[in-house]
Amino acid sequence: MKPPRFDYARPDSLAGAIALLAAHNGDAKVIAGGQSLMPMLNFRLTSPRLLVDIARIADLNHISAGADGVRLGALVRWRDIERHPTLAKLHPLLVEATSHVAHYQIRNRGTVGGSLAHADPAAEMPGIAIACDAQIIVVGRAGQRTIPAADFFVGALMTALEPDEVIVEVRLPPWPGERHFAFEEFSRRKGDFALAGVAVFYDLDGQGRVIDPHIGAIGVTSRPVRLNAAEAALAGRAVDEAAILAVAALADDGLDVAEDIHAPADYRRALLQVLLERALRRAARLPDAEQTQ
Amino acid sequence: MNEMTMPGRQIGRSLPRLEARDKVTGRTEYVHNLRLPGMLYGKIFRSTVAHGRIRNIDVTAARAHAGVAHVITGEDVRKVIPRPFYGPAFHDQPVLALDKVHYVGEPVAVVLASDPYVADEAVQLISAEYDELPAVFDEVEAMSSQAVVHDELKPAGTFPDLKHLQGRRNTNVALDFHLRRGDVDKAFATADRVFEHTFRTQQVLHLPLEPFVSVAEPTGSGITIHTASQSPSFVRIEIARLLGWPENRVRVKVPYLGGGFGAKLYIKLEAMVTALALLVQRPVKVALTMEEQFYTLTKHASTFRIKSAVNKDGRITARHCEVWWNGGAYADIGPRITQKSGFTAPGPYDIDNVSIDSYSLYTNLPPAGALRGFGIPQLVWAYESHADMIARELALDPVEFRRRNILREGRPQATGTLMRDAAIEAVLERLAERLDWNKSFDRGSGTVRRGRGLGIGFKASISPTTSIAIVNVAADGSATLYCSTVDMGQGSDTANAQVVAEVLDVAAESVRIVHPDTDVTPYDMATLGSRSMFHMGNAVRLAAQDAKAKLAALAAELGLPPGSNIPLPELFRRKYGMQAGNVIGIGSYVPTYESPNHDTGQTSNATPYWMIGGTAVEIEVDTETGHVRIIRIINVVDAGKPINPKIVEDQISGAAVMQLGFTMQEKMLFEGGQVTNASLADYKIPSILDIPPMISEAVDAQQHDGPFGAKGVGESGTFALSPAIANAIEDAVGVRVTELPITAEAVYRALRTAANDPLEDA
Ligand SMILES: Cc1cc2nc3c(=O)[nH]c(=O)nc-3n(C[C@H](O)[C@H](O)[C@H](O)COP(=O)(O)OP(=O)(O)OC[C@H]3O[C@@H](n4cnc5c(N)ncnc54)[C@H](O)[C@@H]3O)c2cc1C
Repeated sequence: MKPPRFDYARPDSLAGAIALLAAHNGDAKVIAGGQSLMPMLNFRLTSPRLLVDIARIADLNHISAGADGVRLGALVRWRDIERHPTLAKLHPLLVEATSHVAHYQIRNRGTVGGSLAHADPAAEMPGIAIACDAQIIVVGRAGQRTIPAADFFVGALMTALEPDEVIVEVRLPPWPGERHFAFEEFSRRKGDFALAGVAVFYDLDGQGRVIDPHIGAIGVTSRPVRLNAAEAALAGRAVDEAAILAVAALADDGLDVAEDIHAPADYRRALLQVLLERALRRAARLPDAEQTQ
Repeated sequence: MNEMTMPGRQIGRSLPRLEARDKVTGRTEYVHNLRLPGMLYGKIFRSTVAHGRIRNIDVTAARAHAGVAHVITGEDVRKVIPRPFYGPAFHDQPVLALDKVHYVGEPVAVVLASDPYVADEAVQLISAEYDELPAVFDEVEAMSSQAVVHDELKPAGTFPDLKHLQGRRNTNVALDFHLRRGDVDKAFATADRVFEHTFRTQQVLHLPLEPFVSVAEPTGSGITIHTASQSPSFVRIEIARLLGWPENRVRVKVPYLGGGFGAKLYIKLEAMVTALALLVQRPVKVALTMEEQFYTLTKHASTFRIKSAVNKDGRITARHCEVWWNGGAYADIGPRITQKSGFTAPGPYDIDNVSIDSYSLYTNLPPAGALRGFGIPQLVWAYESHADMIARELALDPVEFRRRNILREGRPQATGTLMRDAAIEAVLERLAERLDWNKSFDRGSGTVRRGRGLGIGFKASISPTTSIAIVNVAADGSATLYCSTVDMGQGSDTANAQVVAEVLDVAAESVRIVHPDTDVTPYDMATLGSRSMFHMGNAVRLAAQDAKAKLAALAAELGLPPGSNIPLPELFRRKYGMQAGNVIGIGSYVPTYESPNHDTGQTSNATPYWMIGGTAVEIEVDTETGHVRIIRIINVVDAGKPINPKIVEDQISGAAVMQLGFTMQEKMLFEGGQVTNASLADYKIPSILDIPPMISEAVDAQQHDGPFGAKGVGESGTFALSPAIANAIEDAVGVRVTELPITAEAVYRALRTAANDPLEDA
């Protein structure tokens, strides 16, 4: 199908974009890479009167790193992250997770801001934002606000954004060089949205015990989540095979795991658990699953 | 390289597709690009219930919508087609629903507008009320269900074996086919071992990247239909029948197709655009969306219960096959599948005692018809899975078990027809060799286990069918072929040009092909069932030989010595005094055939030729997720002697990739008869990244009566892939999957069940 009729504007400034959004009062939508919005329009799942293209707005595609962490402008594309000379060092979890997003054609266009705003429950970037306690910087008629990721994702395809607000940046806290981390996901075909995915990272104290573990999951509930029970079980432990199995067994604890046409809840739960095991093993740099059969 | 373009060596040349350059540079004609002056676009309003009596269709708002020219319902169609029911086997399908709807997605009304988007908007303004009726979706339940899809059966009358079904009521059985050979009961009673298994396949669809599209244009004296059809001659005859016109008032033109795979056979949109165009006296185009393909034609879901008697040394002594085919709401060509494919249900094995009961069922799902393989992949899925399961039980090597039972050259198949030019054994042995079957194999360890498996299948050609071709040699010696074979990507233009070129001793590149146009090109039954290379290939060869003989006669008439190699332009000049005239060769081919006995299915001549296809795979199973990684696929077929080896290889690999989707991931999902994944976002076909390393080859073979030894190959790569994978999975991890698709979830579930720790929810 083709999209319903809409008007199109490409303002040069953020203020211009916000003014247009505000004037349309919920009947306008930002378009960035268009890789989620265009399919939605073509399937006629949404029919805004105006599309506000933010591609011409200066300074939305920066990638910078400093003492306060990594900052990604809203228009940073998956390909920019993948090809960045130092990001793989500065935030290896981000780079690893991003490598799972879609196919080349889509990675050349899809943006960080678009992914956060679209809030697909299985998307990688929202999962990283949740796992890392990212801050999402948005600007609207009322000015700028900083929304913690934990408050940003409200439900499937639902966020805390107001209709007149534009995401301008996402900030990921600093990433120490020695950190243990891994990202694992499972999808039906290469490049498909994940049926389940897990991001894990933690640091170690002098005795080799886990400090401040972060475990985020995508694809299993209506929005990206932290696996609180698993995190609590991992904290303070030395990561050996026994710890991994014990922690992974708590993967779906307290989660309301969703089902859709691609997979039922029981299978997603099983995947979540094994992905968490694998992520923990890789994060701890332990060998793959032993001979269990 | 250069000598390959010289005449006289045209057969066995891997000539690149003649149309390739035009296709990649965007010059090729497709019906989707056709616009005629004054043309209206039709958009279809479809049923939202699976089974119901139409109480009322409200089109007032749609009619009032700005830009709408007309809104047409089933009753309007009767003004131009009094009995608007069509179909190749049954006249059961209305142009637009009349009285009842039989599945969700059935066309109920059409909006016409000069802007397709206006028409689309107006469709949203139509509403219909139905008195819902009980519906049936499962093919086995349909045998005995209270829900009856059609009030009365309406066989087309063209097939003698359907006559007995005329007027039958209270049944969903559109055809029952039976075969009896030997004494099955006795063999089971005295067998050492008896094995029985049930296998199922899911409903999937063709999904050509060019969706269905047809345009009809009233011409005053008749009608011209431009359509993406695999069967222009059939369309002409069936439209003429519906209109009560002679064939010569209906003209059907077909350019290239963007894929067909069996979907675009018989009549799809052609009757609809014809009725619309005649009603409004303007050209009308209907072009479906990708989503609408899910409501148009699909592949039969099936259930196959197979039971075998086997003696101690692994010889199969009897086999009983019961197959239920889920035909959906309209029979389409399903009854042919039930019979013509049904009779191969026991597999390529030499079994003295065989019985087959094969049933074509109506259900309240989108209709099912031919799809690359014509029912064979469903059958091979069962009998080749069954073969490995038996071998495993008997602790026999699966290849060895097959060797002991294989149907060898000259032996009778279940119908009694003797096998001839059927390289079943060669295909099996080549697979085993390519797989290094006798060498040890890295079986993996831990959570990654490896296995290998294979399967072989065979297919008869639909018979008897006719092809006619014309070869026209112009006064400058250039040759043009007129034939109604539809090139939908399979390379038939190129292969046919090679046949003409070989006979006339010219370069294949120089032969022009005129595409199907029933005012111009002669009759051909259809481009289906891998029949064209054999049937049309023979007709083309005969036409070219006829032209050659006429040229020789002309030379003789002019007093030239026999065998004189006078250049053709000179020959014509001598005859006509200038560059003028032409020589027309005609070839007509219809193989011999003997209909099977109605009660026993026995016949001495079931098919003009056999197609053989086998696949072997190596796979890796992740036991913690159920993910199956295919390490490599080996396809081996008997294609006779390939006319164009590269095209043969592409046909084999293309068929295998298509079957890979049907095996690993594709499945139409339904809720109350409504498809819930009708888009390429949710219905997952293989992408380029999902295609494993693959070898595709033809064994050294010869079809004695094929054109230059060739026969069809469009489907053989589909036959055995699915069971090869299931067999490899059992080899790797010891679990048996009996239902398609083999998703990671299905394998994981089976593993958990085998470990006595089943997943809880489902
Ligand atoms: C076949 C396919 C497979 C895919 N697979 C994956 C996958 O595996 N993982 C994954 O994460 N994604 C996947 N995607 C989605 C892809 O990554 C999208 O590009 C991304 O989710 C949205 O980015 P975009 O720039 O294209 O946003 P757009 O499509 O332009 O916009 C998406 C939504 O975000 C809003 N929006 C965009 N930018 C802003 C902003 N700065 N401020 C406020 N609102 C904004 C728009 O109004 C719209 O509602 C896939 C897409 C396709 C088509």
